[in-house]
Amino acid sequence: MAKRKLVIALAGNANVGKSVIFNYLTGLHQHIGNWPGKTVEKAEGTLHFKGYTIDIVDLPGIYSLSTYSLEELVSRKYIAVEKPDIVINVVDASVLERNLFFTLQLIELETPMIIALNQMDIAKKKGIEIDIEKLEKLLGIPVVPTVAIKGVGIFQLLEKAIEIIEKGTMTKHVEVKYGEEIEKRIAELAKMVERFQFWYPPRYVAIKLLEGDGEIAREVSRIDLQVVLTAKKFAKELENLHGHACSTLITSERYEVVGCIVREAQKIVAPIKPSFEEKFHAVTTHKVIGYLIMVFSLLLMFYSIFMFGGYMSEMLSNFFYGWKPIFTSLLGTGIVGKIVWDGAMGGVIAGVTIALPYILPFYIVLYFLEDSGYLSRIAFLMDNAMHKMGLHGKAFIPVMLGYGCNVPACLGCRIMETERERLLAAFVTTLVPCAATTVIILGLVGQFLGIQWALMLYVLNIVVIFALGKLAFKVLPGEPTALIMEMHDYRVPHLKTVMKQTWFRLAEFIKIAFPLIIVGSLAIKLAEVLGLLKPIATALTPITVMWLGLPPITGITLIFGVLRKELTLIMLATLLETTNFAQALTPTQMIVFTLVAMFYIPCVATIAALVREFGWKKALFITIFEIVFAIILGGVALRALTLTL
Amino acid sequence: MEKQNSERHEIPLTALKNGETGTVTSVRTGRGWGHGRSWGFEKRLMDMGLTPGTKVTVVKSAPFHGPLEILVRGSRLALGRGMAERIFVEREK
Repeated sequence: MAKRKLVIALAGNANVGKSVIFNYLTGLHQHIGNWPGKTVEKAEGTLHFKGYTIDIVDLPGIYSLSTYSLEELVSRKYIAVEKPDIVINVVDASVLERNLFFTLQLIELETPMIIALNQMDIAKKKGIEIDIEKLEKLLGIPVVPTVAIKGVGIFQLLEKAIEIIEKGTMTKHVEVKYGEEIEKRIAELAKMVERFQFWYPPRYVAIKLLEGDGEIAREVSRIDLQVVLTAKKFAKELENLHGHACSTLITSERYEVVGCIVREAQKIVAPIKPSFEEKFHAVTTHKVIGYLIMVFSLLLMFYSIFMFGGYMSEMLSNFFYGWKPIFTSLLGTGIVGKIVWDGAMGGVIAGVTIALPYILPFYIVLYFLEDSGYLSRIAFLMDNAMHKMGLHGKAFIPVMLGYGCNVPACLGCRIMETERERLLAAFVTTLVPCAATTVIILGLVGQFLGIQWALMLYVLNIVVIFALGKLAFKVLPGEPTALIMEMHDYRVPHLKTVMKQTWFRLAEFIKIAFPLIIVGSLAIKLAEVLGLLKPIATALTPITVMWLGLPPITGITLIFGVLRKELTLIMLATLLETTNFAQALTPTQMIVFTLVAMFYIPCVATIAALVREFGWKKALFITIFEIVFAIILGGVALRALTLTL
Repeated sequence: MEKQNSERHEIPLTALKNGETGTVTSVRTGRGWGHGRSWGFEKRLMDMGLTPGTKVTVVKSAPFHGPLEILVRGSRLALGRGMAERIFVEREK
């Protein structure tokens, strides 16, 4: 039999076990990238089954197919335009109603589909019993019960999916019928839409137009404005008739249909008594204990990662520097040797000693927390605080990440719903002192002036973050969005999925950060070899010496800091030929220097992440803004400190 | 604060005490077809199941006027306070 190619898409709500199923199906043959031109993640994998080569596409976890978020838009377009051979709709059996609401929208897209009724074990624990045959009949779609975490039902799911594709006939879906007044208008609009070619089914377009879907209205108006105007008129009529917004009406009716199906197919048998998971939820979101647990677990997380990272980092760099003699014997200690070893290899070593010891464990812990459900509780607890800077609770997660490393933090801003919020959150996270900045704060101010001064800098940093966050929120046009977030039941994370996520993130980090770290390292080395550092430092004296009151060599160290922030301190030690900074810097200079280093620029890797997420212009703007801001702040601090001390 | 409505006893969701249940009567955001001011919010609320006629239970609210934790259609949601204030319900007895 000739090998045939098939495409299967996985679609469903967030946190229903979609990625676990994806991992089971594709094993190691995965590729995670971006949707063309969008900052939405696309996970693809291949699988060989019964003579077929099957492409599995894992669509983002979403609650609806409207245009609330980029993810929704991308998923909808993919299903309608690329037309996968079948869509596997992963449904959380323990939250059947809300999940089937999404199923109905897939049905309206008229795509061939099958349902994976997942998390059957959790549903059972909650006393929810689902009559699968009845559900199949009511929906007109095959339903396969699964417990993805244990791999139960995955094989049957795949078999069934292939069977449907082979039969070639579309399964007869249930028809989603709305009220009479709505149906009449849908039919009329659909008839108008039928006249032209469009990638969505006519009935779907009609429904979406009545709902006021901006994207579809825009595209249809390019073809036939009359249709959109008619839809607008109809929507107004319906609104006047029922007293609710038309989109509300349609959504309500869709839920009505879902409600009927659920009432027939689902039975709640056991009396609901609080399970362990529920008690744990109550404690971790408690108004006092919840915060204590949060602070404790975050401190524990950072402390253990820093300890582990510091230890590993040193071991790794010792290992690498062990190679130095080999390099020098090969290339000599001349210009070439210097550039290759100190420049290129220095960059590689710098990258590796961050990525493996810090970023790797960081991601493991992060995905562990996310998969278990704890991150959403943290977002719940921090929502109010984040509102003070115009963001909502979810933004706390990238900010928290920022204390480890700004690069994953910038990439983590994708959890925000709108483009504007992503940018705001990313801007804020670049101001957060990362692990490397912490080295400077503790190594300079903490060591020589005492821990209370270091803590004061942290507090000042938070104040600045709030102030600048608020400012950016005011300046950037657009509407604020609020927190609407599901807090799914606590569960044991799926280790393999966590590890895979970690692996891909690490690879992503390496891809983004390494080239720039190496190039940057080479460039600086080259400048040094060519004797350009001194002139640059001299050129910078109006800022470093006159405005900031620092020794002229700090100009050089601050340039190195662009590569990795802790290099500002390491270079300072090298140039001063001592680690006793008290000999060269006054306490005021230490504070000013640390302040500037804290804010003055996102490191190259972070800039690269910003470019990737938001484009050159915005990345450049943030960078320049922060340089200017840090310099002004440093100068002001100098004058304030000289007055008070 | 309870607001007296001419025919119904409509109160904002935030006026429900912990553990109380109400039925959604309306969501008062900017109304209108298409790209109205807060079309996105309202749509999102509806998509998450907070349609008129739906029963909502307030579990608790986070301190310092933080978000509400609610149960709706078998799922547990965190809802920003500003948004919860715009959802109106009838208290269940």
